[in-house]
Amino acid sequence: MIEATGLTKRYGAYRALDRVSFEVRRGEVVGFLGPNGAGKSTTMRILTCYLSATSGSVKVHGYDVFDEPLAVREKIGYLPQRAQMYGEMGVLEYLRFVADVRGIDVTSFNKRMRNIVEVCGLGTVLGKDIRQLSHGYRQRVGLGQALIHNPPILILDEPTSDLDPNEKAEVIEYIKEIGKDRTVILSTHNLAEVEEACARAIIISKGRVVADGAIDEVRARGGRVRYQVLVDEKAALRGTAPSSADVEAALAKIQGAISVKELPTDDRCHGFTLLGNKGSDLRGEIFKLCVDKGWVLLEMRRDIQKLEDVFKSLTKGDEVADRLRTAAPDEDEESEDEGLEDDESEDEESDASEDEESDDDADEKDSKKEDA
Amino acid sequence: MSTTLNIAKREFRSYFDSPVAYVVICLSLFGLGGVFFNYHGGFWQANRASLEQLFVQIPRALSSIVVPVITMRLIAEEKRSGTLEMLITLPVKDAEVILGKFLGAWGLVLVLIAATAIYPVMMFGSPWNLGSLDSGPVAAGYLGLALYSAAAVSIGLLISALTESQIIAFFVTFVVLFFLHLVGAGAVLSMLPQKAEYALAFISFDTRLSSFMRGLVNTRDVIYFISITFGCLIGSFWALERRKWN
Repeated sequence: MIEATGLTKRYGAYRALDRVSFEVRRGEVVGFLGPNGAGKSTTMRILTCYLSATSGSVKVHGYDVFDEPLAVREKIGYLPQRAQMYGEMGVLEYLRFVADVRGIDVTSFNKRMRNIVEVCGLGTVLGKDIRQLSHGYRQRVGLGQALIHNPPILILDEPTSDLDPNEKAEVIEYIKEIGKDRTVILSTHNLAEVEEACARAIIISKGRVVADGAIDEVRARGGRVRYQVLVDEKAALRGTAPSSADVEAALAKIQGAISVKELPTDDRCHGFTLLGNKGSDLRGEIFKLCVDKGWVLLEMRRDIQKLEDVFKSLTKGDEVADRLRTAAPDEDEESEDEGLEDDESEDEESDASEDEESDDDADEKDSKKEDA
Repeated sequence: MSTTLNIAKREFRSYFDSPVAYVVICLSLFGLGGVFFNYHGGFWQANRASLEQLFVQIPRALSSIVVPVITMRLIAEEKRSGTLEMLITLPVKDAEVILGKFLGAWGLVLVLIAATAIYPVMMFGSPWNLGSLDSGPVAAGYLGLALYSAAAVSIGLLISALTESQIIAFFVTFVVLFFLHLVGAGAVLSMLPQKAEYALAFISFDTRLSSFMRGLVNTRDVIYFISITFGCLIGSFWALERRKWN
């Protein structure tokens, strides 16, 4: 459905995208994740033929975005970031205008409108001017215009930005509904939305794809297991109740523990998050520790790392300055000749490993600080 | 072509969705009426059944305020507000966007020009019936105004496509159009060497419009206005395409 190969976009010396490659298959709902300035909107704009890539190619529904932009635009519905529409127009008037430009006749428009009004919840605002609508309703109108021609592909660029939590939840519900029968790319930096609405995530950082796969696979890329431990600070089975420093020091000594961080809790217990290596299970060790010390273990939970943690570790240090370096022409030509796939996978690996290391370092430093 | 007309229709209607069209048309007719009948004695002092004075004043009024106001928002405002992205990612060609916007804005100016026909109709027809009017210079005058307004709107469109600021678009359009009138003024031309005088007279709106006012449709003048219009439309298209590569 969508096939991007070696997409690079430069604004002068600034490299917004650096050999980005990915593929989105028919019927997938894909979360396109990245921090602000990572290159998400630039990618969306290239996919929708608003911008041209400096190098690389994109095929949407079999059409090249550079050679056949009109055919591509006919196949996609696009909701840009902070969907801006003509405020002086009425909602129905605006949707009619979009339908006219897309060459939809009145009968088909009326038929589509019934569905759009139902899916996007526009029934109460059809007669209003767009400028009178709240952000949430504007986003719904934006979704409506993107769906007016019943496109097989939907590209949504941060559809929930500027919305309140209720409106966000509603828009995500609409996206889930819409995504049942079409390909959707949801660009966002809100991880909860991706976890809720998407089966697959592509994470972009510093203009490069740093992770691409099913949500569980991406989560697993973090390579950690998180344990949450709550120990009673008022009572103990033997001796006196433990202090926070005692618990932290003891947890840090468990073999396989990468880092220990204290959690904010009330005055009844000490709470800690302990990170262990992927595939490890330290629950037994933690339980034994509490039994040996005579502490009262109030709660222990083990879970695979959250997508949020993976996202943080993969996109940490996404300084814009990293991309301000101007690549020498030779270096660029060389890398393009060498085959993009290899380059990218190397880049991804090195990025990910560097980030993991830096994350480890940071966690260890945190732990040491607290020890001190 | 239907896409172009859809964009033009939306653009044209948008002027009437805000007070812009009403204010511009009313103030222009009021101002023009005042100037035509009273400025330097106006129509009555001339003592001739002629609209020449009207055809002199209309382009100046259009260039000084109407065209800059109408064209300043065409692309600049769409770029600033983000509606351009929404429009361009529909299945439309950049050329259709430019042409549609041009036709929408030119349409409004033509409505205003057509509204000025109320003066000859009332004066030389009903109710005052001041005598018979030579229709040749009037028709030629209106043809000249239509051609001139196409050129002026296309200049405004080009400037609007080059900036994201409506204010800058307004002032630059005003200055360029003012310059194109000013260089045709006799006082300015008389101060210059003959070659410069000839060159400036060649590009001056006033010089080009003078033959239309006399009832003479000169091919060179027609080609001049059409050339400016096409040149600026092509320039606007490039300015819009520029976003892809910058």
